[in-house]
Amino acid sequence: MIDLTDSTSVEQVARAYAVNPVLKLTGVHKSFGSLKVLDGLNIAVYPGEVFGFLGRNGAGKSTAIRLLMGITQCDAGDIDVFGQPLKDDLIGIRQKIGYVAQDQNMYPWMTPRVLSKFVKNFYPAWDEKRYQQLINDFELPAKRRIGTFSGGMKAKLALTLALATRPQLLILDEPTAGMDPVARREFLDLVREQTVNDGATTFFSTHLIDEIEAIADRIGIVESGRAIYDGALDPLRNSINSWSVPKELYVPGDLPGEFARNRLRILKEGERQGRWVVTLQFSERVLASSEIVVNEGWRNEPMSLEDVFIAVVARS
Amino acid sequence: MSLCRSKMSLLRLWQDRKDAMAALALLAKDFREHWVSLLFLSLGCITVFLLLLIQNKGAVYSMSSLEIVRYALLYLMPVVSLIVGNRLIVNEYLSGTRLFVEALPLGQSLPLILKYLTGLGYLSVIAVLLILLAVNSASLADEITLAYLALITSKTLVMIWLYWSIVFCFSLCGYLRVMLYLLLVAMVAAFIFLPNVNADLIPPIALMDQQLFVFERDVTPWIAIIGTSSLAMAFTIGGFVLVYVGEGSVIERLSKPMTRRDFVAISVLIAAGLAVWSAVIEKNSVASVEFSSAQVVRMEDPAVSVLYLEEQYQASAQDYAERLSDSLVALQASLGLEALPTVKLALSPDREKHDVDYATSDGVFISANWLEHDTYDDAILDSVVMHGVLSAQTSGRAMTEPYHWVLDGFTRWWVEQGAHDINPRHEAELLARAIWALDSEPSAQQLISRWQMTADRFAYPSAEALAWSAMMFLEHEQGRGKVLALASEFLTRPVGHSILSSFLDRRQSPAFRVGKIIGVPVGEFFRDWAVWLDLQKHDLLVSSFLQQIPSLQGRVTSEFDSTGVHRISASYELMKSELNYSEDIMRLTGICSMKHNYIGPFDAEFEVSDDYEDTSFCQVELPTHSVDSFYAQGDRVFIALDYESGGFHQPLRLHAERLTIQ
Repeated sequence: MIDLTDSTSVEQVARAYAVNPVLKLTGVHKSFGSLKVLDGLNIAVYPGEVFGFLGRNGAGKSTAIRLLMGITQCDAGDIDVFGQPLKDDLIGIRQKIGYVAQDQNMYPWMTPRVLSKFVKNFYPAWDEKRYQQLINDFELPAKRRIGTFSGGMKAKLALTLALATRPQLLILDEPTAGMDPVARREFLDLVREQTVNDGATTFFSTHLIDEIEAIADRIGIVESGRAIYDGALDPLRNSINSWSVPKELYVPGDLPGEFARNRLRILKEGERQGRWVVTLQFSERVLASSEIVVNEGWRNEPMSLEDVFIAVVARS
Repeated sequence: MSLCRSKMSLLRLWQDRKDAMAALALLAKDFREHWVSLLFLSLGCITVFLLLLIQNKGAVYSMSSLEIVRYALLYLMPVVSLIVGNRLIVNEYLSGTRLFVEALPLGQSLPLILKYLTGLGYLSVIAVLLILLAVNSASLADEITLAYLALITSKTLVMIWLYWSIVFCFSLCGYLRVMLYLLLVAMVAAFIFLPNVNADLIPPIALMDQQLFVFERDVTPWIAIIGTSSLAMAFTIGGFVLVYVGEGSVIERLSKPMTRRDFVAISVLIAAGLAVWSAVIEKNSVASVEFSSAQVVRMEDPAVSVLYLEEQYQASAQDYAERLSDSLVALQASLGLEALPTVKLALSPDREKHDVDYATSDGVFISANWLEHDTYDDAILDSVVMHGVLSAQTSGRAMTEPYHWVLDGFTRWWVEQGAHDINPRHEAELLARAIWALDSEPSAQQLISRWQMTADRFAYPSAEALAWSAMMFLEHEQGRGKVLALASEFLTRPVGHSILSSFLDRRQSPAFRVGKIIGVPVGEFFRDWAVWLDLQKHDLLVSSFLQQIPSLQGRVTSEFDSTGVHRISASYELMKSELNYSEDIMRLTGICSMKHNYIGPFDAEFEVSDDYEDTSFCQVELPTHSVDSFYAQGDRVFIALDYESGGFHQPLRLHAERLTIQ
């Protein structure tokens, strides 16, 4: 876990929210044979927030979600949803969750109308009116076979299904995979709009940084089955910075400035386009202050959230 | 408290109702998805069944209509089960819609249990319907009672349960199911066809017994029913376990759609498996059959049985059994054989004396008539027996290998002089045959490479005489021990009936192996033998036999006459030879005969029978034989021209050819 020393942690977030998390994974382990997928994952998501679950492909995001949905069982650790262990009332808990899977595996022979007739039998809070409304809003043809839908239409239909259950928790597992940028943006706007309206908690899994930036209140970064960051976006972004120096001026061991005292760790260093680039992580407070004095020849390199993510993942 | 309790029970009721609704929703979904297909499948099934019933009723020898139920169970219902399994389970797993259902608020088992019950219910209804149709069509002779109907229905439903359980279990194995079905079919085939497995005792096969399934009315086959039910239960449990082991990760991995690479890999695996199987498997495994008659002379160690049929032939059978037994004991000792096959000889008084029926699949079984034999005829029969015994030592392979001549030559050598001195008349007759054959066809000297052609051209008696003379020459040059060593090299080691065994047997060429035993190159040996054989013509007795051979060679013509009838004709002409054959054709005592036979597509070694024979006095330059042919254009026919006389015990083949009718 990235420790920003004076930044947030799970406990600190819990204190800040002063409420029980909607979902909480504590020390969750999961292996498939010799392949360790989750290695002590800790995550907490609080009421009303949009939690961005960020990680590279294969980091364990989908497995974590399948555990959250009770589709597979964890080897060790605790999973609590709505304040109770998931296994205590799996069906009851699932009835309160709207789930949009990574792959839309709906029956291709069904139409949206038939699909609602099928699905509503499983959800006590099913809102047919809302379903129809969303179908109209999303401009989905209610009488056309789902097999003929595009990927974006299927994702919208899946979101419609999830929202029509009036969920207290919306779980989205890389729902925009395979969508073009326009459809993706449209979809994200819909999610944001609907969740704001409903006040539902949203757990949004993705490996796309811009999606997180657009939608998330707080993020968790998972790498190699462990959470390496859990907190708000800004503290993370503000704790990391990069400097570079022409390669010929670089002396091994040199740092951009006299701030060894305040430096927490080197996240990443290496050559890029003829310059030696060093990415350092600091206490958030240090970066915000004006204590940093940069040595001669070094210059500050602006970092996008994607750069921050890459630096963090590379460090882990 | 009571309020709380009633609230709890209300909640439970609500939950139960929700479960029922969820189950109903799943069932309705399956019905909506599959009803058209299942309707057509049912109609197709019933139509086929009705057609079978109608055909059965109209047949000359009709069977019980319930027998059609058995046929439907054997051939129709497995296919129906496969189709249902494919629609209900395989499609769901391969298309990934299972993941959609899994994410719904449902118990994990519910969808699978419903699918299992749906498939089983559908198949059971179809099966019961077929039984009712059969009952409706049953004749008075079937005597359908309630108990009988219950018995047939129970057996049918148990089989349906087994089929569905297998399909259920295998359908959860994704693309591997194809392999599993093939494996299952292979296993069932093995159970049915392996001679040492009594399939009638194996539960599903026992339940479907051809006689008992329909005709047994009074006895309930509990063991077969329980056995089949246990199998069905095992497959059912197997299916559910497969889904839950590793929380479905196993099934997820299995149910991935097959890629082209998978298809290729599986095809290669199957081909490789078949290749290995066909290379390794031993194909001969037949339970031994013994004579059950009381009129059998039996000898132990070696096991010789001689069936004589009537008391008057007992003495000759006893003599034959003793002679064979002595000869076999000596052979076993001389060659160091560990065991000998059983020898069964059946007297067949109706046969011609050289007409021998010979089989080696179960020991050595020979049917022959020895009642009017002289010593030469006895030697012929003994030679056939020894041929079978030694052939069995090589698992029958010596007859199809390039060392076939060793088998033929050695067996005759063993019979004539292996354990005692040779009869001079036998020797002379055999030498005369061999000299004549080699004179007629000098290339017959190549015993290894041309043996099959020599046997085709001169027929078995002369080919055998040729090989025997080579053995005799070897004995003459290097002693008896070398002949036995040659036989030991080729005839005492069993060659497995597999590609692998053949490969191992052929690591060294037969020529090399012969040369290794006799100490000289095989070509040199054959040349020396031919020279030696030619010298034998000066022997007076041999010469007297040679003088009885007509100096004839034959010619065959095949043509259609003006009326479109096909005819086969043959004529003879004098042959030029330095040997002292008989050229005075008019004074020949024997007759010329033309024999012909159709050659089947798989006939390799061929012996023409006497069934189609035209006999005539031998004459030169004139058409001797002319017969209307019943062969069609394109047929392949074997035609032989034989000379039969009292001088030689067996015919001399003057000409032989394979002809394609044009």
